[in-house]
Amino acid sequence: MTLDVLRYEGEHQLKSTLGISVAFALLALLFVASAPLITTDVTSSTQFQQVMTELPQPFIEAFGLQSMTSLEGLLAGEFYTLMWAVFFGLYLAYTAAGSIRGDIDANRMDVLLSNPISRWSVLVQTFLSLLVPILIASVVTPAVIYVGTLFIEPSIAVEELIMVHVLSIPYLLCCGAIGLVLSVLLDDRDTAQNAAIGVLFALYLFQSFIPVTDYGWLANIAPMSYFDANEIMLEGTYDFTSAGILLAATIVLIAVSQFRFTRMDIQ
Amino acid sequence: MVAIEVNGLTKDYGNVRAIESLSFAVEDGEVFGFLGPNGAGKSTTIRTLMGFQSPTDGGATVLGHDITDQSAMIEAKRQVGYIPAEMGFDEGVTGKRFLRYQASLKGDTRSEELLELFDPPMDREIGEYSTGNKRKLAVVLAFMHDPDLVIMDEPTSGLDPLMQERFYEFIRGEQAKGTTFFFSSHILSEVQKICDRVGVIRNGHLVELEDVETLLERGGKRVSVHVAESVEAGAFAIEGAHDVSVTGDEQSAQPTAADGSGDDPSTESEDAPSGGRDGTSVSFTYTGDYNALLSHLIGYDVLDLDIEDAPLEDVFMRFYGEVDPDREPSTVGRQANV
Repeated sequence: MTLDVLRYEGEHQLKSTLGISVAFALLALLFVASAPLITTDVTSSTQFQQVMTELPQPFIEAFGLQSMTSLEGLLAGEFYTLMWAVFFGLYLAYTAAGSIRGDIDANRMDVLLSNPISRWSVLVQTFLSLLVPILIASVVTPAVIYVGTLFIEPSIAVEELIMVHVLSIPYLLCCGAIGLVLSVLLDDRDTAQNAAIGVLFALYLFQSFIPVTDYGWLANIAPMSYFDANEIMLEGTYDFTSAGILLAATIVLIAVSQFRFTRMDIQ
Repeated sequence: MVAIEVNGLTKDYGNVRAIESLSFAVEDGEVFGFLGPNGAGKSTTIRTLMGFQSPTDGGATVLGHDITDQSAMIEAKRQVGYIPAEMGFDEGVTGKRFLRYQASLKGDTRSEELLELFDPPMDREIGEYSTGNKRKLAVVLAFMHDPDLVIMDEPTSGLDPLMQERFYEFIRGEQAKGTTFFFSSHILSEVQKICDRVGVIRNGHLVELEDVETLLERGGKRVSVHVAESVEAGAFAIEGAHDVSVTGDEQSAQPTAADGSGDDPSTESEDAPSGGRDGTSVSFTYTGDYNALLSHLIGYDVLDLDIEDAPLEDVFMRFYGEVDPDREPSTVGRQANV
C-alpha cells in the first residue's frame, strides 16, 4: 500500500490542524495562567465549598470540581476531561464523518477510485490522516503548557503531562472511528456529521450520568470511560488496558466501515 | 481482443430500473459511441463498468477483468483512463497539485505534452476553474498515464467549439496509435463525427447497435426560417421535411421570440400592420438533401435562418419509435407540439 492518499489527505488537514493547535494552546495557557488564582483563592472560598456540598455527586464529577485544588487537578479535571477529550473528540468524529461521505457527495470518490487503488486502502489512509491533527496538537499543547508553567508558582510533572497525551491518542482515534462508521453508513454528509456530534455528545452524557443509576455498566460503551485524565495526572497511574480496549474498538469500527465501504454503491 | 464486453447488464436503484439487460462489445481499437438522451442510463452503465457500483444482474468485463472483482479492476484501471460527467476535483488545490496527486496514484508519462495541447490554468485553484477549464484538466488527467482504453462520460460538454474540434482530432490520433474509446454522448453530430460504431440507449434499453454510416442517414436538422412573404400551408412540403409548422404574423411573436431575432419584425408589424408583409415563421425537421433545401429557400426573401441539430429525442422518436410508452408520457406531449 503506497501512502499517497494519506499524504494528500494529511496535507489537507494541516490548515485546520493549525487552528485546532492554536486554540488548544491558548485555552491551556488560560488554565495555566489562572491556576494560581483558582487553586488557592476560589477553592477555599465558602461559595465553592457550598457548591461542592450541594451539587449532586455526578455533576461534581462531570465538571471535575473535586480536583480544582491543584494545577494538575485543574488541567486534568477541566482542560483534559472537557476541552481535550470532549471537544477534540467531537472535532475528530465530525471530520471523519465528513470524509468518505463528503468525497462521495462531491463526486471526488469517483475520480479517486478511477485510479488503480483499492477501496480498503482509500478508507484506511483517509482515517489515518486524522493522525495529523492528533499528533501535532498533542505536541504543541503540552509544550505550551510546560513553557507556561515556567512562569508561575506551581510547576508540573512532565512525565504525567506527556502520558496524558500519549494515552489520549487511542481515545481520540476511537472517536474518529465512530465518525468513520457514520460516514459510510449514512447517505448524506451533513447527516453523517450531525449524527457524529450527536452520538459523541450522547456518549459523553451517558458516561457522566449513568454510573449512578442501576444501569451503571452501560457507561462502559462510552470511549470516555477508558480515558481518565485525573487518574493519570493526579495519581500517576497509566491504564494501558483501557488504551488497548480503545485501540481494539477502533480496529473493529474500521473493519465495520471497511466491510460496508467495499460493498456499497458509490452514488 | 475485446476491450469491453457487456452481458445482460442490469442495474436497479431500489424500485427504479436504470438499465436493463444491456449486451454489447467494444472491440479493441475502435471508437464506440454510447448515444442516448439525458437520463437514458448512460452514466449508470459507465459507472457500473468502472466498478463504482455493482450490477443487479448480468455482468461485464473491462480489458478482460470482471467488473465485480475489485482487485481485478485495480489491474484494469492501470490501463484505463476515465473522464467523469461530474468532475469531482478538489476545489481547494491548484491544478498542478491535483495533477501531482493523480500522478502519484496512477503514473504520468505524458502530462507535459497534454498540457501543451489542452492548457488548463494549472497555477490557479480548481475552485476558480470554469467548466471548460475543468474539462481540459479532466482530459489531461485521463490520458496522462497513456491508457489503452478511455471511458468518457459526455466529455465535450462545457468545451468551446474550438477545443471540441481539437479534442476530436486528438481522439483520432490516439485511435491511430491503438487506443480504444468508449464514450457517451447525447449529441448525434458528435457521435457521427468520431465514432466507428454506435450503441443507442433509451430508457435503460439498448435500442440499436449500428455502424456510423447507417446513423449518418438518420439524425436531421431543426430548421427555423423567417421569411418576408406569407406562406401557404403546403409550401414547405418538400422531400425530407417533417413536422412542418407555419406561423403567420398574428402568432409569430411567440415562436420567433425564442431565437431573439423575432423582435424586430414584430415591432415593425405593430407600426405597419399591413397583413402578411412582415413575414412568416416556418419550422421543421429536415433530413433531406441540403442543396434541395437551399434551392427551395432561394425563392423566398429570407429574413432569418437557423439550422441546428435536431434534439436527439425527436430523432429517436422518428426512427426507433417509443420504447416504453408507460415511462415517457411527457415525450408524447412534446412531440405533438412540434
